[in-house]
Amino acid sequence: MNDITFTIPKSSVTVLLGPSGCGKTTLMRMIAGLEKPTSGGIFFDDINVTKVSTRRRNIGMVFQYPVIYRGTTVKRNLELPLLSEKLEQKEVESRVRNVAELLGISASLNTLVEELDNGTRQKIAVGRAIAREPKIILFDEPVTNIDITAKLELKRSLKEVFGRLSQTIVYVTHDQTEAMTLADQIALMQDGVITQCAPPSEIYTLPNSQFAGWFLGNPGMNFVEKKHLKISATAISAPALFSQSINLGTQASKVASLGVRAESIAVSSKEISGSKPAQVLRKSLGIGGQYLLDLDYSGVNLKARVPHALGKEVSNQVWTTIDNDKIIFFDENGSAI
Amino acid sequence: MANKTDNSLQVVGLSKSFGDKKVLKDLSFTIPQNDFAVICGKPGNGKSVLVRSIMGLETIDVGQILARNQDVTDEDPGSRNIGYIPQSFALFPHFSVRENIEYPLDLIKATKQVKDESVVRVSELLKITDLLDKKPNQLSGGQKQRVAIARGLAKETDVYLLDDPLVGLDFKLRERLIDDLRLTQEKLGVTFLYVTSDPLETLQLAKTVLILAEGRIAQQGLLIDVYDKPLHLASLTTLGFPEANVISGSLQDTTFESTIFKIKTSLKNGSGAAVAGIRPEAVMLGKQSGAITLTASVTLLENLGSEIVAYLDVSGTQIITVVSHRDASALNALGTKSATISIKPESILLFDSQSQAMIGTGAALV
Repeated sequence: MNDITFTIPKSSVTVLLGPSGCGKTTLMRMIAGLEKPTSGGIFFDDINVTKVSTRRRNIGMVFQYPVIYRGTTVKRNLELPLLSEKLEQKEVESRVRNVAELLGISASLNTLVEELDNGTRQKIAVGRAIAREPKIILFDEPVTNIDITAKLELKRSLKEVFGRLSQTIVYVTHDQTEAMTLADQIALMQDGVITQCAPPSEIYTLPNSQFAGWFLGNPGMNFVEKKHLKISATAISAPALFSQSINLGTQASKVASLGVRAESIAVSSKEISGSKPAQVLRKSLGIGGQYLLDLDYSGVNLKARVPHALGKEVSNQVWTTIDNDKIIFFDENGSAI
Repeated sequence: MANKTDNSLQVVGLSKSFGDKKVLKDLSFTIPQNDFAVICGKPGNGKSVLVRSIMGLETIDVGQILARNQDVTDEDPGSRNIGYIPQSFALFPHFSVRENIEYPLDLIKATKQVKDESVVRVSELLKITDLLDKKPNQLSGGQKQRVAIARGLAKETDVYLLDDPLVGLDFKLRERLIDDLRLTQEKLGVTFLYVTSDPLETLQLAKTVLILAEGRIAQQGLLIDVYDKPLHLASLTTLGFPEANVISGSLQDTTFESTIFKIKTSLKNGSGAAVAGIRPEAVMLGKQSGAITLTASVTLLENLGSEIVAYLDVSGTQIITVVSHRDASALNALGTKSATISIKPESILLFDSQSQAMIGTGAALV
């Protein structure tokens, strides 16, 4: 972890996303107080909690595997964390009822937890974390180890809960779809550093680095290296890829590569005005029956996403038009210009 | 000696039971030469038993296995000459990457020259040349899996069996390895039989696909043919991402009726229970002419970046559709709480509930 400074807005869902080993779990454990930073501080509402114990930070946590009490009912599981809170019985009952309703498990309150699938058990663990009404709730890959058959319902429930809770939520995952589905903002991490912190649609369409462009999306962004670009004092062109030149003013000289997403390349089976020819090296099926084409523009390889019927029809040669507004330029450090 | 150009793989009448449980039921198929064939089946449909049977790690009840047109059913695993890339990358921790790759060659007492050539060949193919002197614990998960694939390819042969080699790896690694595997198979010009339960992997890798359901091959064919013309319900639900919608109902003469719609079908004398299969991409947003129009509530919008997978509920029936972020009008029609959807009757496939065979299609609105 290296000199991280960032703010998690109140009452929002912030997802820490990144490949394994990027430091996202360590960062969450430091927020929880389970790990001590070597230097630097952690503040809740401007109060320095770096030296405050986990127990006294007023946080809730949900882990990869559901942490619940076996051999007892759902209701008892939800009540137990409230016992140390010295609440009136009426308040306990009302919180349990509300939490169960929120998670859609009201009908199972008197069921033994053993009888439930692990997705529902994870919901109980979520319920236990929120019943105490902590200020901050931390989720460490809560969906990753849940049975495939129960995953969708758990995600659905989490989305619903996140929309209705007023607490601040920090959520760790390596799954980009989960992140983009649940987050108000994604903090993307690489090698112990937060490289970008932005809402999902922004981080996807306007990555601030090659890493963000590559990491998000299936496939990740296409990149074209400098040797395939024509760079003048103020503009960039790539005659093999697109016909116009793009004016970047004084920034042009910094360009080391460009990036474009597979869906920003419009493909046609016939030549149209302004389009450029490309060879189809390979085609494969993908999401929603769309085709992914591996294209070759005399030495530059790009992937383009096309509708089913068109993908089926095209053979060796296609013509493409790249949406200039969707091109991102990067400098030699891989930072967006 | 087998003809050098013949690297086909054939399974004939293979059955295998464990006690009373029939796992593989009279399975027959041919993987043509130099094919990239993917056997795709949901968990519990007999995939791993099939893999183990082909490798010779499992004795089969009846049937034959032919590699290169030669019967190898009674040969032990080592003499079948089938390359094997297993599910988990169990590398020897105390061996270097080079020693791990050489291991299968040591078993057949290959000369140093053969080993050196092999290591160069496979390490260049999988771009691990600079890792050869490292130990497995110095490698990332993706690097380890590339070493495991390289080890599987080290013993030069022309038929390889890949047993779900990307399972459990994260998204980005799989994306890269899928490209690597496709290129590797193309460059080597060998037969790959690849087994997985992942629909996206199947779609991205397969030239031909075999749908394994309940111990039988439900359908075999070119990927696109099976995708566009599923002859079995399992072909529709196993192949495709997100998973196709399946709606139960019943046939009466020329109509199909479920709790949420009724359509005219291509059938004349339909009767009995049937299911309607609808690909997510056949569920359109907004009101379209000539289509069934339904009002749905939105239960979850999954954001894939380029697309949204919308999980909808129509009076208790789940309908999944997929919307491209490029399609502004569809996005407008997709509210966060509710949506109007349209399904063209012609895009609905009908399957017999009992046999699960494709029996017809929708034809028109009632």
